[in-house]
Amino acid sequence: MSLTRRHMLASTMGTVACAVALLAPKHTRGADEVEDLLFRLTGRKATPSNRLRLVMPAEFPTGYTVPMSISVDSPMTEADHVKSVRVFAPKNPLVEVAQFHFVPGRSLPRVSTRVRLAAPQHVVALAEMSNGNLLMAKAWVAVATNGCL
Amino acid sequence: MTTPVPRVMVPGSVTKNEVFTVKAIIQHQMETGLRTDSAGKTIPRKIINQFVCRYGGLEVFRTDLHEAVSANPFLEFQLLATENGRLEFSWREDGGATYSLYHDIVVT
Repeated sequence: MSLTRRHMLASTMGTVACAVALLAPKHTRGADEVEDLLFRLTGRKATPSNRLRLVMPAEFPTGYTVPMSISVDSPMTEADHVKSVRVFAPKNPLVEVAQFHFVPGRSLPRVSTRVRLAAPQHVVALAEMSNGNLLMAKAWVAVATNGCL
Repeated sequence: MTTPVPRVMVPGSVTKNEVFTVKAIIQHQMETGLRTDSAGKTIPRKIINQFVCRYGGLEVFRTDLHEAVSANPFLEFQLLATENGRLEFSWREDGGATYSLYHDIVVT
């Protein structure tokens, strides 16, 4: 087998495509947009926190029923509890997904549901704590079909 | 559209101060208001926009739902067993209709 021009061209294009993919990872680009959006919606600054967990599949075949679980580390006392968690899907035609309200001493800050996503995107959860802090967590979800709306 | 049918799954009895799981679902289309019919007319929005769970008359968990919640909205959440009492669940639909049911829980 000899190296023909066609082979060379094909392998070079492959290498270039890989390089481009490496240079522009999908995850880094969305971050600032998401934070801007949250600031516009809430008028406040949210802190990324691992006390708030947003669990969603990284890839899902349909955008109609994507499972979502949320949990927050919190003692849920009067003095220190989670008031609510809001969820946004920035790439949906309507970005608000849901808001969950919890009651100290009565409910735990954990909830699961199913949501619709229009496109691959970072889903964002925002927990409002009793001291006024806003915690933020993101989950990248690549849906294969538009589930909206 | 079919009449929404709510259902819940709750343990029959729980130990005091134990955490128990509640699963609540309602059969509902969750029409988003973004779709058009075959004549090109917008199908008006009709979703379940709020779910409330009360325990012994006190609100213990609430969700505000928007268009992006899937059809037949399902919620799984966790409550603390504080006393014998009635768990009331209600779903509020656009237009003001509500669907509800209750379950008496035994705390031992």
